[in-house]
Amino acid sequence: MPEVSKMKKPDVKVVILGDTSVGKTSLLHRYTERKFRDTISTVGGAFYLKQWGPYNISIWDTAGREQFHGLGSMYCRGAAAIILTYDVTNWQSLAEIEERFLSLTDTANNDCIYAIVGNKADLTDPQAQLTVATDGLTDDQGEGGEQRMKLQVPPACPTPPASPASPSSLLKQVGHDEATALYGRILRYKGLDEKSSLPADRMCFETSAKTGYNVDALFETLFDLVLPSILRKRNENQWSPTVDLEDYREANGKRRGCC
Amino acid sequence: MSVKAFELVPAVERDLLMGDKARINVECLECCGKHLYVGTNDCFVHHFLLEEVPSPKGRIAYVAQKLQQKYLGLKKPVAELRAASALERLIVLCDGVLFLVDMATLETVPSATGSGGARIKGVTSFCMNGNPVNADPFCVEIAVISSRRRTVQVYTVFEDRVQLVKEVTTTEQPSVVSLDGYFLCLALASQYMILNYTTGASQDLFPYNSEERRPIVKRIGREEFLLAAPGGLGMFANAEGVSQRAPVNWSERVIGAAVCFPYVVALDQDFISIHSMLDQQLKQSLAFRDGHILQDFEGKVVLASTKAVYILVPLPLEQQIQDLLCGDRVEEALVLTEGAQPNIPRDRFQILHRRILQQAGFIQFGQLQFQEAQEYFRKGELDARELISLYPLLLPPTSSFTRCHPPLHPFADLNHLAQGDPGKVLRCKRFLISYLGTVRGTEASRVCREEVDTALLKLYAEQDHESLLDLLASDNTCLLADSAPWLEKHSKYFALGLLYRCNGQDSAALQLWIRVVDGELQDSTRPDLYEYIVDILTFCPDLDLVWRYSDWALKRDPKVGVQIFTKRSAGKDQSGQPKPDDVITYLEKHSHARLFYLEHLVLERRVQKEKFHSLLAVLYLEQVLSLLGGSRPPAPDQLSHARDRLQALLRESNLYRVQLLLDKMEGCDQLLLEQATLHGKLEDHGKALDILVHQLRDYGSAEAYCLWASSSSTSSSRQHLLHLLLDLYLDGGAGERAGDLEMAAVDLLNRHGDQFDAVRVLSVLPEGWSLQLLKPFLGRAVRASVHAGRTSRLALGLSRAENLQLLHDRLKERRKPILVSEKRGCHLCHNTFSCPDVVCLPGAVPVHTHCIAHRLSDSAPNTHADSAPDKHSTQNSNHT
Repeated sequence: MPEVSKMKKPDVKVVILGDTSVGKTSLLHRYTERKFRDTISTVGGAFYLKQWGPYNISIWDTAGREQFHGLGSMYCRGAAAIILTYDVTNWQSLAEIEERFLSLTDTANNDCIYAIVGNKADLTDPQAQLTVATDGLTDDQGEGGEQRMKLQVPPACPTPPASPASPSSLLKQVGHDEATALYGRILRYKGLDEKSSLPADRMCFETSAKTGYNVDALFETLFDLVLPSILRKRNENQWSPTVDLEDYREANGKRRGCC
Repeated sequence: MSVKAFELVPAVERDLLMGDKARINVECLECCGKHLYVGTNDCFVHHFLLEEVPSPKGRIAYVAQKLQQKYLGLKKPVAELRAASALERLIVLCDGVLFLVDMATLETVPSATGSGGARIKGVTSFCMNGNPVNADPFCVEIAVISSRRRTVQVYTVFEDRVQLVKEVTTTEQPSVVSLDGYFLCLALASQYMILNYTTGASQDLFPYNSEERRPIVKRIGREEFLLAAPGGLGMFANAEGVSQRAPVNWSERVIGAAVCFPYVVALDQDFISIHSMLDQQLKQSLAFRDGHILQDFEGKVVLASTKAVYILVPLPLEQQIQDLLCGDRVEEALVLTEGAQPNIPRDRFQILHRRILQQAGFIQFGQLQFQEAQEYFRKGELDARELISLYPLLLPPTSSFTRCHPPLHPFADLNHLAQGDPGKVLRCKRFLISYLGTVRGTEASRVCREEVDTALLKLYAEQDHESLLDLLASDNTCLLADSAPWLEKHSKYFALGLLYRCNGQDSAALQLWIRVVDGELQDSTRPDLYEYIVDILTFCPDLDLVWRYSDWALKRDPKVGVQIFTKRSAGKDQSGQPKPDDVITYLEKHSHARLFYLEHLVLERRVQKEKFHSLLAVLYLEQVLSLLGGSRPPAPDQLSHARDRLQALLRESNLYRVQLLLDKMEGCDQLLLEQATLHGKLEDHGKALDILVHQLRDYGSAEAYCLWASSSSTSSSRQHLLHLLLDLYLDGGAGERAGDLEMAAVDLLNRHGDQFDAVRVLSVLPEGWSLQLLKPFLGRAVRASVHAGRTSRLALGLSRAENLQLLHDRLKERRKPILVSEKRGCHLCHNTFSCPDVVCLPGAVPVHTHCIAHRLSDSAPNTHADSAPDKHSTQNSNHT
């Protein structure tokens, strides 16, 4: 029950950022509840605690609305991973990442990991429609001419890359290469060396919260990548020469986590 | 929505404060224990004693008694009031001046001489440190926002003076301040920030336009603040500038907010909204007009409109949870319970939590959500009897169980719950079966094992469940007295018998089953129940029981019934087993069974006891005789089968009393073959063969008799028998039979030619027989004779050769000296020789004379050694 875990101290923070209506809440919901549900516009923010092995990972779902923009940097403070989300059918949502959300990440950890996620892939990509039965939302066989991310494609998926271009391909406004280019710019913004950082094709995802396509892959890849961050954080705490008498609660939590 | 978490209770009515003076308003509040101070816009401070009065309905009411009111003499509104109870002082902000007032008298405290005084001027707002850094209990720390200089000052307040600790400047003019330890949380004109006043380190939180909307900075716990955020949010932030709780969504025009765990209470002009910090949902909304102030004092939430004071009384957590459960809002109730864990003592929480889980389980159960229900029951460690007691008649009347009070659920019983829907009842029963199945054997159900097992038994019986027998076959604690009528009702007699046996009442079980087998009771659980009973009796160690019920089993089917005795273990330990003699006596009445038992003893177990063999032979014989003497001619195969058995026994056994049987057969000319066998057993072969040849005229049998009678002895006795038979054939007398006998004689000779003494045969054969007739016999006889002659010659030759060899050896030995010294050892005893008298074995091996004498006396007597006094000895025996 997530209710119980809310009382636990999280070890690490993952924040989902992105423009309004790109599907941040739906992504989180798909991952945590394993289903797709109509959501209303998030007010302020919400968070979910995920047990990942012995660790507690808090995942913050932020509000995309301009109104709550000011809160973003607070959410990002101390984050170990940030998921920058856009809508593959909306070019502006990708642009917003750079214009509005990138600066919010200044408060994140220095070694924060960034993932670029294009959601709503089911609208453009036939592969992304496979996970659930069609419920009439779309019959379009989007044929994105772009390179597909072979990395995250489940091997069981039959790939029809050569399907004839249909008018619905217009839907796809953001290609994978644009996302990888953005990733490169983010690294430069952060002053990170592209060679020593995680490669773009690993950190750019296309997902569908509606069908569940690539959603688990996204979160689990990130969780695995933030593990070193958790360990480092714990080690720092353990090696701290100061005895914090009031910090007994946290210390208990840590001991529990180890066993 | 709509949990009733709080109740709004009036504390101080308008007439106690300002009566009908319309222009006088409440400006600020302070509550310290039972003392309530109210500051008004006409510069008065009112002091009330607030008594909590429990009303008959269990609700709380407040009665305010006005102790005092004091005019502070500044003609301006009293802006803020804070109590420092340890100092007995009220800190008052009025007209930009902060000063101290005695809590009891409300007199302004004069400044102590020469210590900077007890006043601070130019103050717009102040707050007290909720987490003081100063260890002195007789001082308080305050943070003050100065009206002019974009500065925040931190003071220590003593009984009669204030002392500046630190002054920090801010980038913008602050409007609201809160202090926790060294951390100042400030609302600036355009944003919130955290400022550490000792290090000067600051942390921007988020932008907020303080001019547009009234900022709120509320310390809610250690280093954690609740802030009004854009978009009508209540944001949480800790001293590091990190939000650890999700924000709540209250309204845009919030005037005041407070935390009363696990709720965030916020006041705007028309409503009090109550959100849960656990799931961020709005839980309650109370209309409140002219809302003006909302503050919490030591956990007590006090509100004021412009004219009156109210207290927001939290309903007991249990009641809130029960309200939620009443509305079937299980999840929320659990969230609330678990969220409240830190505020409840551990043991009380466990009891409460368990109870809530159990109730939640029953709610899910009532909605037939069995999977969820089971999970809650498991987590809540439900006493299985609570659930069992819902099902009519499942709890044994002897059970001491009474349902938990207050009840965990509103259901009287299953019928009430299912409202007569048989489908639902059935599903509930199936659930109980699976639930009890999982509960059974766990530590938690140890106290009610009997109830669980009995209930399970009843359900299985009623539902015709296959696990009924498994339950009874395993270690169980089903109550017999309660279960027996139930099993009878459902015709589960086999199961009932098993239950009897579980309770050590084998006799009752057998009686019941016998009635089932006899068709008195109907239960088709085991079509082979009869065999099952026999099996039980077979392995039953209680011989009384065996004697008592075997009679019935044998009557029903002697062949199967006798297994009670025949299949009993024939191991070494026969102490607990019935004695064969007793069994035979017991079986007197059951002749078939007795026969089977004897066959078992004699033929299978090969018991070598004359009594059994004789008895069996007699019984066989009687059977044959009865078949022969019967009124109707017996079926031929029946007779031949009976005779075969008799004959086989007569032939193979050597233990029965021959004469007894012979006497019994006396005069029965249909059993000649048997008689012949018996005579044979008496070594009276002449008589036997005479019967076979002359009475029975069965030459084949006669011949077989010869072979059988001599099968265990030497060939000479066989020859003797064959000659006897031949003689019988040859002096067969006259008449037409002579020819038959002659033919039989010829056949006998021709078949066994090599076994006869040919010379004797030839001397007795009639002269007239043709050579042709006897050719096979003669051929064989001659061949045998030649063979014997040649074999003898060969043996002779070999013996001669051996003799020659021995002679040769003897010569060789004689020529060689044999050395005997004191250093050589005897080959037999390995001791050295002490005297010259030795015996020499072949191969020149010297041994002691006494050794060889000893050896020879032990072994074959026809060998001997020859000792020679001249130290040379030799052995001339045939020993090699």
